[in-house]
Amino acid sequence: MDPTLDELQVDPLDEEIASLKQQGNTRARKLTAPLHLVPTVAHLRKTLKIECSTILSSPSIQEALISSLNPQPSARSAALRPRKPRRSAERDEQLLLARSKQQEAYNQQCLYRIAASVTAFKVRDPDPSAVDGGHVLGLRFEIMTRGQFLQPYYVMLNRPYPGNAKFLRIHRHTVPPAIPLPGLAARHLPAPKQQIEGGGEGDTLPLPPKQDLERFVKSLRREIMRYHNRLGVSADLRRSLGAHSSHSLMAADGSLPPNTIVDVSIADTEAKQIRLTWADERNGRLAMDDDGRVVKFMVFGAEGRDWETTRQLGESQGRVEDVAKMLEEYAAGRE
Amino acid sequence: MARFSVPTKARLPSSLRVDSSNPAVVKSLNRLSREALISLALNWLEGDAIANAVPYLERKSDEDEIDPDDVYPPCASVQQLYELYVDMQQQKGLKRDVANRILEGDWRHGLSLYQLAMVDFYHLEEHPMSQKWTAYKILPLKPPTKGVEDEVLRVDDKALSVPRFHPSTFLQSLQDQVLPDIKAHYHFHRPKDLPVLLLRIFVIESPYNSSLALSGVAGNGTATNFSSSRTVYLAFPDGSSHIYITKSQANGPATGGESRSLQNLIVQGVPKALSRPRERYTLKPTNLTSRNLETLLDKRGPGRGNAAGGGWSIYASEKNKKSPLDATLPSPPLSRDSSLSDKSRKRLKPLNSDQRAAKRAKLVAQARFGDSGLVNDGKGIERIDVLLEDPFPTPVSAEKLGSGKDKGDAPGEAPSVSARRRTLDAALRQTGDDDDEEASDSKNPSQWRPTVQITFQGNHVFAGIRQLVEAGIIDGERMPGWMTGEDGVTLGIVKHGRIKGNKGSGL
Repeated sequence: MDPTLDELQVDPLDEEIASLKQQGNTRARKLTAPLHLVPTVAHLRKTLKIECSTILSSPSIQEALISSLNPQPSARSAALRPRKPRRSAERDEQLLLARSKQQEAYNQQCLYRIAASVTAFKVRDPDPSAVDGGHVLGLRFEIMTRGQFLQPYYVMLNRPYPGNAKFLRIHRHTVPPAIPLPGLAARHLPAPKQQIEGGGEGDTLPLPPKQDLERFVKSLRREIMRYHNRLGVSADLRRSLGAHSSHSLMAADGSLPPNTIVDVSIADTEAKQIRLTWADERNGRLAMDDDGRVVKFMVFGAEGRDWETTRQLGESQGRVEDVAKMLEEYAAGRE
Repeated sequence: MARFSVPTKARLPSSLRVDSSNPAVVKSLNRLSREALISLALNWLEGDAIANAVPYLERKSDEDEIDPDDVYPPCASVQQLYELYVDMQQQKGLKRDVANRILEGDWRHGLSLYQLAMVDFYHLEEHPMSQKWTAYKILPLKPPTKGVEDEVLRVDDKALSVPRFHPSTFLQSLQDQVLPDIKAHYHFHRPKDLPVLLLRIFVIESPYNSSLALSGVAGNGTATNFSSSRTVYLAFPDGSSHIYITKSQANGPATGGESRSLQNLIVQGVPKALSRPRERYTLKPTNLTSRNLETLLDKRGPGRGNAAGGGWSIYASEKNKKSPLDATLPSPPLSRDSSLSDKSRKRLKPLNSDQRAAKRAKLVAQARFGDSGLVNDGKGIERIDVLLEDPFPTPVSAEKLGSGKDKGDAPGEAPSVSARRRTLDAALRQTGDDDDEEASDSKNPSQWRPTVQITFQGNHVFAGIRQLVEAGIIDGERMPGWMTGEDGVTLGIVKHGRIKGNKGSGL
């Protein structure tokens, strides 16, 4: 620990970064030589950043920082840096400590985000006339596709009802319109006052509405996941069908056999319908339900409904994932 | 052309021709550039389009009738004509020559409604700001109660279904809504670079769907009916339960009421056309009007930005994407890059107070506007109208207010005022109404409430406000939220420093 400590004290932040850079370079050169055959500046900077955060988040460095600030500074360490005034060095160390604290907090945040798909955080509304003093509760919904984290969706809640301090309301959100957020909010986060309802649908009981944030989050997360799974399914379908149409089936003159799919696209807002286009300009529509089962399937030819193809393909009403195989067989079968 | 003209309910066929000497036709062609005219003509001569855009060709039978004085002798075949236009594309020339060739030469017998629709869409692509769009939200209605007649259907706020849109079904049911004394022509178009489907509705007052509809009184020679026609555009953004409608445009002189009634007709007819058995929808205006389709797509489109405007846009933008697997600390905005050498760091150190203030103003602007309101983002809004319903600032808070520039932000500021307002809010809520209003006037007779309306106008209003904040003219910290555009409306009433009815909820 001592050499690190000394190095830190000799030259705080700046030189530490410089040494880290060298250190990072040497280490990286040892580990991943081919990468460093073309050492671009951007790459070096990135390596530096990663090394920086790795070192800052290591417990021994944090200990060293705290102990170097708290006890009385020894004469030895003061003598080692004659150029710099004592105050600025101390300030740099404070900065370093602050940054290491930030890093620690960020590490924790990342850990929570990896482990739980919904995380909460606090935001301050910058609007000076915001309700409830600008206190906003943020919810972060993680989504993953093909093993990668995508940009999460956010829902911000505030408490605009002065009489009912506990009642939440959606303030801002980044959820796409394909997800019925207003409906979910009306179901699980109703406004505190009984709404005056004109229809006589048995809403006479004066039971005060209850908000259930947990159920709201659960059902919203479910909807988001379903939506993304549907998107993923149609993307998979496109990929698996597109791969075949491009090479093996291509005829000598470059034209495709009539039964190959040339286009797969999403046809509606919720991504519940998939549009298929065959090489001979027939069109198909595939509708799935919430759980990815095929509910409806139809084919249109040049003269209206193509019942024959619909019957041929529609026999095995299963999941959308099975459709790809079926369509491939169909394309190969009638050649 | 049809020999008979029988009153009918059908739509106008695309192949119906309008006389090429009609001033409206000449005018709409002359609005296009030379390149657009040529590519338009090539488009007409290609593929399936030719059925609705038959050019005037040389006829085999009447070769002796060729007029030697004809400036534009007819071509023998479509292929020849196509090559002629391809040649024109490579040469240089005047726009007028192309327009004249189209009108007096190759389509001298008239342009079909299909061609006119394409002309209009080419104009729209060349001048994307030429139409003013108003955004409407499609909302599901509650199913009607059995046995109850004349029931006013209410919006079903608990519905979980997202409205779907299918162009051809929509058109069929829209045609059913059209009254028999009005004829319409529809044309769908998908612009190259925007994820919307545009529908042009061309309406004419006539009981016929033949050429009689366009020529007006037979034998008169003037196309009276054509000049009384209207054009309305609808835009259906992909993957969004919104619809954008333009104001109707007349070809001839028209009164304001007339065009508004057509607009109303459309606004009433569209939800019916979208509805299906057991699924009813209604349209609700969303107080957003802009000439810029991109803005509408951002604020009422398929993306994440619908309810995250202003400073909240940082949550919606892809730029800040940060995977939790990447543990490097994100650098705060405007901070020096950590890779900068200490030389530049030293240079930055002695900031005088002006520089510090400028930097702070920039930071504040960044905090309030996030990634929105940038001059070059192409998401400008031209006009914002805001009506202030807050009491006039008391002397205390008025003193604090530096300049008169942003008069709107005074009320919510001083902590004493906002504290009082909060208690006032509480009182208001207890008296019952969810949507406050009215009562407050009687409660505070001493407060003076002038009616102040503020209108911002410009190419990009919020970018302008952002620049004022960055320049330190507007105090970014005390500026009310509606000035950052986070509500996503262009028309609003401000109460308690916030846009009314939008109590924070972006739903």
